[in-house]
Amino acid sequence: MFAYYLQLALRSFRRNPGLTSLMVLAIALGISVCMITLTSYRAAAANPAGERSSILFAPSIDSWDPDRSYERDDKTLAPNMLTYRDAQALYASNIPDRKLIMYRSGEIYTRPDKGMDPHYIPTRMTTRDFFAMFEVPFLYGGPWNEKADAGPEPVIVLSKEENQKAFGGGNSVGKTLNWQQREFRVIGVLDDWEPMPKYFDVSNGAFQDMEGAYVPFAWGAILELGSHGNTNCWKTEVIDSFKAFLNSECIWIHGWFELRTADKQRAFREFLDNYVTDQKKFGRFPRPLNNYLYDVDGWLKRNEVVQDDNKAMLIMAFAFLAVCLVNTVGLLLAKFLNAAPASGVRRALGASRRDIFWQHLTESGVVALAGGIIGGLLGVAGIWALRAWYGQFVKEAPRALPFDEANLVIVVLIAVAAGLLAGLYPAWRIGRAAPASYLKAQ
Amino acid sequence: MEIRPIISALLRNRAGAILVAVQIAITLAIVVNAVYVTQQRVEKIGRPSGIDDQNIFSFWVNAYEKDYDFLGMVREDMAMLRQMPGIIDVTPINQVPLSGSGSSTQFYSLPDKKGENSGSAYYFTDEHGVNSLGLTLSAGSTFDATAVEYQQKDERTQDWPAVAIISQGLAKALFKDEPALGKTLYDDQSDPIRVVGVIEHMHGAWVGWDKLDRTILLPRVGPDQSTQYLIRTRPGEMDRLMTDVETALRKRDPNRVLALPMKKMSNMKRESYAGDSLMAVTLTTVTGLVLVFSALGIFGLATFNVNNRTRQIGTRRAIGARKFDIVRYFMTENWLVTSIGVVVGCALALAAGFWLSNEYQMPRLDLYYLLGGILGLWVVGQLAAWQPSRKAAKVSPAMATRNV
Repeated sequence: MFAYYLQLALRSFRRNPGLTSLMVLAIALGISVCMITLTSYRAAAANPAGERSSILFAPSIDSWDPDRSYERDDKTLAPNMLTYRDAQALYASNIPDRKLIMYRSGEIYTRPDKGMDPHYIPTRMTTRDFFAMFEVPFLYGGPWNEKADAGPEPVIVLSKEENQKAFGGGNSVGKTLNWQQREFRVIGVLDDWEPMPKYFDVSNGAFQDMEGAYVPFAWGAILELGSHGNTNCWKTEVIDSFKAFLNSECIWIHGWFELRTADKQRAFREFLDNYVTDQKKFGRFPRPLNNYLYDVDGWLKRNEVVQDDNKAMLIMAFAFLAVCLVNTVGLLLAKFLNAAPASGVRRALGASRRDIFWQHLTESGVVALAGGIIGGLLGVAGIWALRAWYGQFVKEAPRALPFDEANLVIVVLIAVAAGLLAGLYPAWRIGRAAPASYLKAQ
Repeated sequence: MEIRPIISALLRNRAGAILVAVQIAITLAIVVNAVYVTQQRVEKIGRPSGIDDQNIFSFWVNAYEKDYDFLGMVREDMAMLRQMPGIIDVTPINQVPLSGSGSSTQFYSLPDKKGENSGSAYYFTDEHGVNSLGLTLSAGSTFDATAVEYQQKDERTQDWPAVAIISQGLAKALFKDEPALGKTLYDDQSDPIRVVGVIEHMHGAWVGWDKLDRTILLPRVGPDQSTQYLIRTRPGEMDRLMTDVETALRKRDPNRVLALPMKKMSNMKRESYAGDSLMAVTLTTVTGLVLVFSALGIFGLATFNVNNRTRQIGTRRAIGARKFDIVRYFMTENWLVTSIGVVVGCALALAAGFWLSNEYQMPRLDLYYLLGGILGLWVVGQLAAWQPSRKAAKVSPAMATRNV
């Protein structure tokens, strides 16, 4: 029966190609705009941490100015970065299963044998658990050990891309790079790895490029490397040396803590509060006790990775789709009523109201499917065009607008569901009409 | 003319009329809010920066060798580049305005954190900074060459240079309506800085910051072992110079790193406003499409009604209605449907506007936009109904006698 309805639908399209194309176009355009906004929304709303999202925690402790809150919009929030000394203190805790502190820096690297053009490599200064906690894939070698963190030892992990630039690819473990007049030994090379949004450090833009090199955190203090990302300060204090900077109330460090059980999470929360209360005795943390421990999901929300504009555009797009659908309902109604005499004949020949209803609903579904597929493809073309245009001056554009087959599937499903919804009333209306009235006019 | 027969005809075919009215209501809500938000973004993007941002490019220069004479490098590079034909001026600067990265701090009009105060983006540059950025001074002059501090790596101080050039925006925040030239401002440690020049207008680092027009230029090069070179060219010569400058710099001294590609300030500006422009583009597209579809909907309903009522029209014509009466009848019918949609749409638009401003900190919807939207939709509705109405008027009175 379904096949027969399909056949009838196709015949009906041929009878009214203009009207049919209009309906398909209406759905297609509505869907394409949805596809584009959905892509940008879903890219920002993604949580690449997956299952580990609920056991990785970022602390946020309120070390800020007594006279004003850290965020202007939401005064209840605490800073989203740590001071150097607080980061060290939290890192010393034995509660977490794994832990890390880190920041983004970078410098000019050279190769001892001059086999590489000296160039700037964005570098993450971090402790070793970074690789395990974020499940970073290695192509060659592996992370450094605890001794290398404590030393610190001059070891370095390179990204695949940077390994290609420095050594032309291949297993370069054991080779050396020069940095700040020191030799760093390559201990590992990463495989392709680009979680987006860059959830572990969203403070410099959620779609920022990945670092090319990873070096033990402790080198930061030795080589006096500040952050190449945000550094925020509030206190009037004399900062006349790097040491003074490390002891200042400036925030620039990120910390993550793996806490696998509810007990550990509770214990760590208590630890945070106790630490801050303790520090208050030394005149630090002048604001009321206000500490948070965010899992990855909470962290992404805290930092508003999905921007208001993302949401507003998505809402506008779906409102537009709604207009397209109402339009389609009207067009379907006109079309079905136009062809009512044919239904009258079918009814007179014994088709039930239900048959007529399903026949017309099938027709709506086919129109919607066509609109969905065309709209999805239009959407892909639109994304491509936006990426090409914005890519000229926004490095993040391709990462913020990724091609994702899932989005295509989603919008086609939305289209079909919406099309069936749109066809519901017209199909019911035509099924209800008495056959005799149409036959009379013949 | 009687409106009652129109209403009763509409009630007979409720579904079509309701659909079009709903469509118009949602359209009004979308269009009014989208146009309003777009208008704000377009205004934001179009603000003048006070900088000659279409004729400037810049890039980082990093020294990496031990005991490298960084300050000597800057001096020699500057001397060479300032000779190159096509370059208006060039300056070393710690950050580039409009790029989205930079530094800011708090300044005060009196020592000990007293008086007025304001955050401001600050830039370290030399005596060519003003001309290289293409700024207009409203008072004072650029730095004396002797005022520029050249700091070695190990000479880092926490003090600010003794003099500065500030933007009118910062001047107003600190000194209100008094002339700022010759005045002294202070940092949070009461370190004094004397104003030797006032810039008519200049944007700083972050286009989303409400203190974007508060900027201060300070005469210093170093002590960091890296800087940006900011080059202003004659119009149309930028692309050629980007290549020439790279070649010339490499030739003069290959032992430092030029961070490539060089960046045009126009592109940095576009990047800074990318979110706003994407929003504007998306909303404009949606507005255009939604208007077209509403018009199509009205057109479709009118055509359907005309086709369905051929006999009725014929009868009316046969008993004396003029063509004009028929046109007026259908135009009025559509105006009625549009108006119902518009009334519902007003409520919807206001609700959406209220919700947007509440949820997303957007400014409250301006009612003039609503008024414009209502008028616009009435016009669109009447235009869309025009052709079907004309078609109706052409129905021959003889139709009344057919098919009976």
